[in-house]
Amino acid sequence: MKEINIDVAVIGSGIAGLEASLDVADAGYKVALIEKSPSIGGRMISLSKVFPTLDCASCITTPKMAAVSHHPFINMMTYTEVREIKKNDDGFDLYAIKKPRYINEGECISCKKCEEVCPVYIEDDFEHELSPKKAISIPFTNAVPQLPVLDMNKCIRCGACARICPKDCIDYLQKAEEIHIKAHSVIISTGYDITPMNAKKEYNAISIPNVISPLQMERLLAPHGPYGKVIRPSDGKIPESIAYVQCAGSRDKSIGVPYCSRVCCMYAIKQAMLLSGSLPLADITIYYMDIRAFGKGYEEFYSEARAMGINFVKAKVARITADEKGSPVLRIEHQEEASKPKEIKHDLVVLSQGMIPAVRDFLGLDLEINEYGFVSSRDKTLNPSQTNIDGVFVCGVARGPKDIPDTIADAGSAAVSAVNYIKSIKGKSL
Amino acid sequence: MTKKVNPKLLKEIKKYGAFDISACFNCGNCSAVCPLSKEELSFPRVMIRHAQIGDKQSILSSLEPWMCYYCGECSSTCPRDASPGEFMMSLRRYLISEYDITGISKIFYRFPYIQNIFVIFIFAIALITFLKFNGDFGSLAAKIELVFPFYITLYIISYLFIMYKKTILDRLKKFVVSLNPSNIKNMIVHGFTQKNFIACSEKDYVRWFSHLLVMSGYILTLIISNLHILEPLKKQYLLFTPLSVLIYYSSLSLIAGGSVMIFRRLFKKGQSSKFSHSTDWLFVIMLFLIGLSLFLTYTSNIVFGADSNLLEIIYKINIAIEISWILIVVPFTKWIHMFFRPFAIYLNGLKKENSQVIVEEI
Repeated sequence: MKEINIDVAVIGSGIAGLEASLDVADAGYKVALIEKSPSIGGRMISLSKVFPTLDCASCITTPKMAAVSHHPFINMMTYTEVREIKKNDDGFDLYAIKKPRYINEGECISCKKCEEVCPVYIEDDFEHELSPKKAISIPFTNAVPQLPVLDMNKCIRCGACARICPKDCIDYLQKAEEIHIKAHSVIISTGYDITPMNAKKEYNAISIPNVISPLQMERLLAPHGPYGKVIRPSDGKIPESIAYVQCAGSRDKSIGVPYCSRVCCMYAIKQAMLLSGSLPLADITIYYMDIRAFGKGYEEFYSEARAMGINFVKAKVARITADEKGSPVLRIEHQEEASKPKEIKHDLVVLSQGMIPAVRDFLGLDLEINEYGFVSSRDKTLNPSQTNIDGVFVCGVARGPKDIPDTIADAGSAAVSAVNYIKSIKGKSL
Repeated sequence: MTKKVNPKLLKEIKKYGAFDISACFNCGNCSAVCPLSKEELSFPRVMIRHAQIGDKQSILSSLEPWMCYYCGECSSTCPRDASPGEFMMSLRRYLISEYDITGISKIFYRFPYIQNIFVIFIFAIALITFLKFNGDFGSLAAKIELVFPFYITLYIISYLFIMYKKTILDRLKKFVVSLNPSNIKNMIVHGFTQKNFIACSEKDYVRWFSHLLVMSGYILTLIISNLHILEPLKKQYLLFTPLSVLIYYSSLSLIAGGSVMIFRRLFKKGQSSKFSHSTDWLFVIMLFLIGLSLFLTYTSNIVFGADSNLLEIIYKINIAIEISWILIVVPFTKWIHMFFRPFAIYLNGLKKENSQVIVEEI
């Protein structure tokens, strides 16, 4: 078993994990950044733009990713899953499994020749199943590290990639590797998943192809997205009317997510703005319960969207059905003037799903989580990064729904707390 | 138009059921998800709003509560868990108590055990009197049963008049009737088939069928007892005659439908059975007992003969149950809903016609 001694283990390499790792490493402490997927970057790298500045998300994430991958104090461990965490007198023992990519990582020169010759197409999870990718492929354009992953379950063992590889580094027999990481402190930055699309069965999001998730819309809007333009999935039509269903996956007790996810109003407004840029003739309607534009510059952003002609309708969408052409039909209560139920057809509907914790089980670490699965802070107001266990800190959405600026501030706070903690214990042992 | 606001209205309605509409933030999910909510009658959100702002006038003059059949979709999809379906149910209870001129329904709804005590009390007194009575019980029962229809009719008329007054007279400020055949047809069709019960997107046929059984069985029982068709102490009945089919149908459907309802309330099957007001329990149990005692009276007449002592005791129990039912349960609380629902459909048609007239005049 490979053994690694470091100061801080950061679990999860989304924007929170990247920021926390950089801050800890810049302070002169050694970091292991553990990421279960093949590339670092998390959710943010898959977004098109960020609100309220409309900066390109990958343009501001990739520098951080590059900084992490080149930092002398950061041991970037991608495609590695933590299996067990144990607290001991000295700190923490993390037992992780490095999953096989089936290539020789030291030798690979990222030439993509294997990807070109591979005859097998599989669903692209980075594009949220909107487009295919090859069974051996680099996860996405700006992935870090630029190493291909072979999906052994889908591979037909034709050997094409092995024959073409100029460095002869395809290794079909590669095994998973066990790693033992000894750390003084742990930072949890495991982030979020969006509420499952089938959470509210009245929305029939699984059976109606033109009801999509907000992350799918992010990909449609991204300049390097699956189609290069916004078209609806069922028939490739350019949508003439697009609707956003707010609070589709949060603030709803009937699906067990009663809290507000804090970002849905803003990302819907952002996407609506981007859409009115890429589809100037489309009607865009946002069905909302109330707009929560709480951050700096957010209210202005919202007013700007209204001024741009985006249609805001106060109503909770109760039901979505499809007409014979597959266009979603929303049923709402029309509340202006006289109240009456109404059915409205759109070409494409985005369910503004909320955030739920990506990880709820911390594998042997007796971490206190709240009733919704987010990691609890010891003191929500004055010491938000500190969890119930000394030496374990939390940041980002793992602690509760947050937008990107808040997440970055949170990650900095967790990093400083971890550094101070290590200083205090090292001071004692000396 | 000025509106009087009653700040205590919500608190008052809350006494009639288990809901939490102070949690409601008027998103309108309930009104949109409801399969019965229509262009002209959109509910429950508007009703909730009236209650939240204390607009008692609007609630008393609304027909919406009677259009709701409590399929419970609004409650199961409510983002705030405010139970709008139960709120509509409570509104029906509230309206019955407001439309009751005696004010007794209000007492029974608020202090449900009083009704239970009264039912048992009247039943016990009637039974003891009957058991001590040595004369011709058959003739006595005939006289008692012949009083029932007058008593019931009086109550129905008073209820329907007040409903008419609150919803039509007070609103339109004039006396109108509609003889439009489609209006009358609508009222009759909905009254007898209750097809709105299965308008829900997840069709609950058990609930619709048991309700239909109970209603039809009960109407027949009402006819049988109020017209005094059955005279078990005087005549010997046979196993199969047209009358026996009538009796079997009405008693067995009350027993079957009543037990399904009791079962559903006991095990909280479906949104509508999740919360049972004490008056609901009394209602279904009494219906079950009426069916059972009718069935036993008839079958013991066949088995033991018209002059058997056992039959006489069973028949006395039957009449005692009917007396406590007619005196205490029928005029107050839930029973009148079976007239309110079809009548509300008629009144809604009437309202629509007259609002059109107003528009044309302008």
